[in-house]
Amino acid sequence: MSNKGFKAIWVRGWLQIARRPLLWIAMLVFPLALMLLISTVLENGLPTKVPAVVIDKDGTALSREVTQTLGGMQMVDLKGTVNSYTDARQMLQEGKVYGFFLIPENFEADLMAGRGPALSFYTNMSYFVPGSMLYRTFASTAIYTKAGTVLGVAQSVGVNPDEAEGLVQPVSISVRGIGNPTLNYGVYIGNSFIPGVLQLMILMVTIFTLGEEVKKHTSRRLLQMADGSLLRALVAKLLPQTIIWTVLAFFMLSWLYRYMHYPMNGDWFWMCLSELMYVLACQSLAIFIYGIVPNMRFSLSIAALLGILSFSLSGYSFPPERMYPALQPFCWIFPARYNFLIYADIALGGRHVYYSRVWFAAYCVFYFLPFIVAPLIKKHYRKPVYTP
Amino acid sequence: MNKFKTFLLGIYDVYLREFKLVVHDLGIIIFFAFLPLAYPVIYSLIYNPELVKEVPFVVVDHDRTSGSRELVRTLDACDEAWLLGYASDLNEARKAMDSHDVYAILEIPEGFSRDVENGEVGKTVLFTDMSLLLRYRGFLVATTGVMQALGAEVQTRAIDRVAPLAETIAVDNIMPINNVSLGDPQSGFASFIMIGVLILILQQSLLLAMGMAGGARHEKASVVGYNPHNNARYVPATMIGQSLCYLSIIVLPGIWLIHYVPMIFEFPMQGVLWQELLFLVPFLIAVLGMGFVIQALVTEREAIFLVWVVTTLFFLFLCGMIWPRYALPPFWKAVSDAIPVSWAIEGFIRMNSNGAQLWQVSHEYIMLWINAAGWGIAGYVMQRWVMLPSVIKLIKKGKSQQQVSIAEKN
Repeated sequence: MSNKGFKAIWVRGWLQIARRPLLWIAMLVFPLALMLLISTVLENGLPTKVPAVVIDKDGTALSREVTQTLGGMQMVDLKGTVNSYTDARQMLQEGKVYGFFLIPENFEADLMAGRGPALSFYTNMSYFVPGSMLYRTFASTAIYTKAGTVLGVAQSVGVNPDEAEGLVQPVSISVRGIGNPTLNYGVYIGNSFIPGVLQLMILMVTIFTLGEEVKKHTSRRLLQMADGSLLRALVAKLLPQTIIWTVLAFFMLSWLYRYMHYPMNGDWFWMCLSELMYVLACQSLAIFIYGIVPNMRFSLSIAALLGILSFSLSGYSFPPERMYPALQPFCWIFPARYNFLIYADIALGGRHVYYSRVWFAAYCVFYFLPFIVAPLIKKHYRKPVYTP
Repeated sequence: MNKFKTFLLGIYDVYLREFKLVVHDLGIIIFFAFLPLAYPVIYSLIYNPELVKEVPFVVVDHDRTSGSRELVRTLDACDEAWLLGYASDLNEARKAMDSHDVYAILEIPEGFSRDVENGEVGKTVLFTDMSLLLRYRGFLVATTGVMQALGAEVQTRAIDRVAPLAETIAVDNIMPINNVSLGDPQSGFASFIMIGVLILILQQSLLLAMGMAGGARHEKASVVGYNPHNNARYVPATMIGQSLCYLSIIVLPGIWLIHYVPMIFEFPMQGVLWQELLFLVPFLIAVLGMGFVIQALVTEREAIFLVWVVTTLFFLFLCGMIWPRYALPPFWKAVSDAIPVSWAIEGFIRMNSNGAQLWQVSHEYIMLWINAAGWGIAGYVMQRWVMLPSVIKLIKKGKSQQQVSIAEKN
């Protein structure tokens, strides 16, 4: 086995990338642009100042006090008060507000008389993030108002003020998020979407460069250079890409945890190893897809389909255990799923690598895939047929 | 008059030829048919369970009283949470969490019940895993409910105790709090995300198909295997003919997307169909214009995969579904404004989910028409001064090659 062929294909692999601006865009511009987008858009962690409005049907000192409390909340941008539900609903339909808070007629009088007037709030859950933010602000305003009222009533019936605190909130459960106490939204998006885009681009670029050998009738020459060894041809050809992807993945890690200061509670070594293994797993999966479907356009379609679906199936937002049982097995066919779980265990959870052992082992399963399809690719490379 | 006639005939010819080309090109048909028909179904199936329920948690109970057990029972009874069991200490609980058996730990300190009975605050802590926002949100909603429910009970008892004469006051009803979710009454995940995704799929299938057709036009017929060139005497006539062809293909998948998919999966449907269709007209024109621009830039059939599939993620961020558009930094807001899909999604969600009438989304509608005009002109410019010269060059090259080969034969 001579090394000369290896070196020539390796140089050729670099030149193929260097000569194609299309590949620079796919390998560098898009992933970096997405990092830039996420880092600039999600800089604040949460979208503050959600536009909202108050329907004040009462118009008393008490209702104005509630409005003031609401206006003072950090997360809300109060657009004033309106008089009717219809007005508020129209503002919501026109996109001017994302929710409203309703203080009913005779609120103060009913409260004093013990007739139990209700405070209501409405949030537009068609917009999940601002809707949820508004829900939190509205709920705490309502509970705060209620607490004040309970305190007043309790004192009026003779409870001494020291004991009143327990009356307002007898049981408290404080929810503490492990690893991301500030609820930074960027932590979720950055740690899932960027590896996801990396997987998508690795799948497509690998298949594209493999298919191009056939399209441009260079596959036979490639095999010749490798002395007939497909393995040597593929390794030498794809190694330059592996290096670029790995550098990019390491850059992503430092960008996420050093520059954006997202939680990194575990061992750097395991995170770096995970990224390296991730790149190789994605490339192996790509070779497998191309081997099964050597029609370049068709295998690119499959890669695009899988790559985009993986953003949902990898469980970045909706947990796989809640999906339909028939869909659940598909969650485990993506390297991105394991990448996400390792991040959640090590970087976010600060857990020992022992608990991620299965995920690391899963990466290794992908490495066997190319060997299964190698004969198919070799056959196709010997007799290249391009189908548009 | 004659010119006008040529123009109209050109549109007609291009329309027919384009139809033939597209129908016989499997790659393009996949984008036109498979993408809008199958994708929304797959996505809806993934998210259709809508809510995250019964997330397992473990309890570390240092109090071991009937009061602490009642707290655990109440939390377990919530839809969102499910009690896996008790752990002897935090270490054991932590191990259960590390091994992915539970996603939260409820720690009840010693003296919890005593505090509550003495009229002080019984403080407990719920540690939650933060890898998924939806699990965290479920625990947040559940604990808020538990605090309210147990609180009301204890309050009534306590007031009874300290001031028996005040029994007429039922504290629970002193001021009820109602919360209503509009647009997505269940606060389900599919009902929220799919409405916008449907519009995004509509845009992407049109653009991917057009991009692939455009890429083929830059390539030599010998590579592609057939001649995809299809031009009328005037560039606008070519563009109109092709646009009409694409529109007549996308109209059925389009109606499937915006009407039947929400119907089948029981997503919110508060809009009026004819108003929604009218709303999407400028959107489709703008997307066609965008497609003509892309056609000029994509120089190979398959290149469209590399340059366009990933843009879906960018659109997802810029269209306001993940991050509200009012909170975008100025630069990205400007980019978002120049993309038809962000206006279309914004308006369509409000029509479909919030029941807005067409006149209530007039701002979005006007912006869509401006986008349509802008992208239409940009599309013409690219077709006239980039695409046409490239095609002419290819044809000339092809002819000269033919002449050479004929000359060689002679």
